[in-house]
Amino acid sequence: MAQIRTTLAPHEQEAARHPFLVFLAVAWPWFFLFLLLVFFESWARLAYGVSFVFNGFNAQSIALFAAAPLLLGLGQTFVIIAGGIDLSVGFVMGLAAVVMARVMQSLTPIDPGLALAAGILVAFLVSLVPGWINGTLVSRLRVPAFIGTLGMYGVARGTGFLAAGGTTVPVNNPWLFEMGNGKLLGVPIPVVITVAVVIAMHYLLSQTRFGQHTYAIGGNRAAALRSGINVRRHTLLLYMISAGCAGIAGILYTARFSAGAAQAGEPLLLDSIAAVVIGGASLFGGSGTIIGTVIGALIIAIIQYGLVFIDVEPFWQFVAVGIVIIVSVLIDQSRERLTGEVKDEG
Amino acid sequence: MKRLSVVIAGAVALATLVGSASTTVAQEKKFTIALIPGLTTDAFYITMRKGAQLAADALGVELLFQGGPEFNPTVQVPVLQAVIARAPDAILIAPTDKQQLIAPLQVAHEKGIPVITVDTFIDDGRYQDGEGPGDFPLSYIASDNVLGGRMAARALAKAIGGKGKVYVSNVKPGISTTDQREEGFKLEMANYPEIEVLETQFNDDDANKAAAQLQAVYARNPDLKGVFGANLFSAIGAADGVKALGKSGEIKVVAFDAPQRIVDDIKSGLIDMAIAQHPAEIGYYGVVTAYAVLVGQSVPVQIGTGFTVMDASNIDDPEIRKFVYSD
Amino acid sequence: MKAEAPLLRCRGIGKRFGGVRALEDVSFDLDGGEVLALAGDNGAGKSTLIKIISGVYHPDEGEILFDGERIAFDNPRAARDAGIETIYQDLALADNLDVGANVFLGREPATRLLGLLPRVDRRRMREAAHEVLETLEIDIPPSKLTEPVRNLSGGQRQAVAIGRAIFWKARLLIMDEPTAALGVPEQRKVRELVHRLRGQGVAVIYISHNLQDIMAVADRILVLRRGRKVGELARAEATGDEIVRLMVGG
Ligand SMILES: Nc1ncnc2c1ncn2[C@@H]1O[C@H](COP(=O)(O)OP(=O)(O)OP(=O)(O)O)[C@@H](O)[C@H]1O
Ligand SMILES: [Mg+2]
Repeated sequence: MAQIRTTLAPHEQEAARHPFLVFLAVAWPWFFLFLLLVFFESWARLAYGVSFVFNGFNAQSIALFAAAPLLLGLGQTFVIIAGGIDLSVGFVMGLAAVVMARVMQSLTPIDPGLALAAGILVAFLVSLVPGWINGTLVSRLRVPAFIGTLGMYGVARGTGFLAAGGTTVPVNNPWLFEMGNGKLLGVPIPVVITVAVVIAMHYLLSQTRFGQHTYAIGGNRAAALRSGINVRRHTLLLYMISAGCAGIAGILYTARFSAGAAQAGEPLLLDSIAAVVIGGASLFGGSGTIIGTVIGALIIAIIQYGLVFIDVEPFWQFVAVGIVIIVSVLIDQSRERLTGEVKDEG
Repeated sequence: MKRLSVVIAGAVALATLVGSASTTVAQEKKFTIALIPGLTTDAFYITMRKGAQLAADALGVELLFQGGPEFNPTVQVPVLQAVIARAPDAILIAPTDKQQLIAPLQVAHEKGIPVITVDTFIDDGRYQDGEGPGDFPLSYIASDNVLGGRMAARALAKAIGGKGKVYVSNVKPGISTTDQREEGFKLEMANYPEIEVLETQFNDDDANKAAAQLQAVYARNPDLKGVFGANLFSAIGAADGVKALGKSGEIKVVAFDAPQRIVDDIKSGLIDMAIAQHPAEIGYYGVVTAYAVLVGQSVPVQIGTGFTVMDASNIDDPEIRKFVYSD
Repeated sequence: MKAEAPLLRCRGIGKRFGGVRALEDVSFDLDGGEVLALAGDNGAGKSTLIKIISGVYHPDEGEILFDGERIAFDNPRAARDAGIETIYQDLALADNLDVGANVFLGREPATRLLGLLPRVDRRRMREAAHEVLETLEIDIPPSKLTEPVRNLSGGQRQAVAIGRAIFWKARLLIMDEPTAALGVPEQRKVRELVHRLRGQGVAVIYISHNLQDIMAVADRILVLRRGRKVGELARAEATGDEIVRLMVGG
């Protein structure tokens, strides 16, 4: 009797929420993407008499541009849905890029094909190590994700620069060049690979028990634990997925530029998190989708690319991207109000 | 009456205006030249843009200025691609990596857009000699960093009376520009037999580290006389270390580059001298070179731009002041 | 004296957290079709006791027999597999998932896509959720079944938690403060549910601070004070005053 009672308002009685608002809150990334395209298309047509959207070069450039932050965002989506965050992805990407370049540098004189296969394999496996450490820190040692992965940010960065000897590591390998710059049915190979990863991650998150448990952990960690989900192991795997995606991004980077650099992913961390948030994930965990993250990454890439294309003063570009991020977070907040989601306080 | 004449005058003026506007349109196509800096937020590149704009206005070409917020290929390449999509007549770029910008610039080259690099270069920086994958740019316009290093050495040697111990505070090995400054500095110092150049200290572009290194070097060499900061943070950090020792003015600090804050530091005595590059000159000659290419002139594959030595005695002279990088 | 062994038998259970003695020498029996209420003031050890039974904690002392066999669960999952379902004070629903996903939380049924890729069988989850809510005569509008459970009322959420326990054929159902967050009509609904379960032969341990609640559902009442059992009364012979006296001591 002395207990404090929490009263849960029966939400279904409140019919006040306008269905259109609810729809808008959920579907706004799509609208926004559409509006952006319309905006840039009309500007390009009016000002330069060219098409922005129906322009093979632009489409390819934007797809290539969006691929790296998107790959980082895919793994990040899993982590964020489960209520965590991975700040190390940018430098894990750089580490993978450098390791790949180093391995290939030494093996290419022996056999270019073997060098590529070995480079990809070693870089991918190496990228999983920071993921494993992140996961262990967060799940087993109970280090807050923000702190643990920030530590790994430094470690991966330092290791990457050490492995690279402080500079860019060039590789001269025709197979590698083809992987980074070739096309499959007219689509750049890095984009093809990214699409494949997107499909796999979408399936994993939306269709499998693994995905279901990811949402459950983000929704109510205690409930997930009590229902017998192995939350520790699951969390470990989430950070390894995130690191693995960053590893793939690093491998594609080295392929594209025929060189590995430790700072390759440094500017992409914020973009990747922004993509996930714009795509409808909540930083408190429990919600988010791969499709949303894809839309988010496209929105960011199109804004940045489009503003250069229509020659807007560079400083306005920071403002534009900043505004989109703020708006998306505001929408995330109001989405709760609009759709009746109530987050537990604390 | 008076009113009428005003109206007539106005109409005539308007007609001339319209007429002149239509003649401009009728003129042959206006060239568009794109300038892509290493990053947009740096005073050096902002000053370069001003020089480029001056040349563009003088020549009647349109200047596009687009770049990323960080000095990083990951940021620069998408910008480059969007610029290529706009199909400018020529591209001036400060590549953020020797290696990684080759393939993306190759795309522009294949589309028939002339490429000229400014400040930094791709590949080996020697273009049109039939060697290397990044041989296609037509010209490289930048300060001669070896010369800049030599000038720094001369200025420092003079300041310390031609004898004593000095060292170079540098970023990290492998950066073409700062490596060349150090090289020039050491070459020139070889002419001063009574000056000993100590081991170079690398600070990873961290001023804090540069300050600590200065103190460590001083602890071992209390007769330290001077230090050359090969870039902004190396110099600021070293100067801070000198100040903490209470040796300002005794241990001379030479800085490379001249953003506004270096001027303040020279005035306050924190820094003794600065070797200012001429970024506006780089931008100006970049546009002029591109224009020359577009109208069918041949151009030199390398253009070295100048330096100005700044110190407390000349810093208030407007002729010197104009070389301060301004944002 | 009963001939056969009771469904649940706890003997001399003790548990300490550092210097705190949360439980000391607690023993009791419970049969199928019986409702045992646990009463006690805040911090008396009620939650600790049921967490031991449901595999969250290991007891430091004593033993538990379930169905005549000695048990020592490593985790809640093992207890659930043995037929002990628990509805916690704080519900343990994933608010962001729908009813079906919550009923099957941690035990999602899988099919194969194109006979190859494993995939969660959402249709089965939805149908089963519908079914179990129907057998409990809980009406949740069908449209709400596919929405996150945060959109349900407190009573409906409680019903989902109970439904989950029933679906997995619990033989012992433990409920920690199931009515604390509910309005009066919903409290009544939960009591009805408990009665119905008892009728189906399920054993129930019911924790409540609410004497009315206790008197309405319990067959027996076990009172804890500072980790010790201070009384065990049949409802028929118990009065509210007596229970309170035992709870506060004196
Ligand atoms: N995990 C724990 N670590 C340390 N002490 C604990 C832990 N869980 C319970 N305790 C302590 O054990 C004692 C019994 O707690 P318990 O939660 O079992 O009480 P309760 O009867 O359920 O109380 P309430 O009515 O408030 O839910 C309390 O003193 C409590 O502080
Ligand atoms: Mg309790």
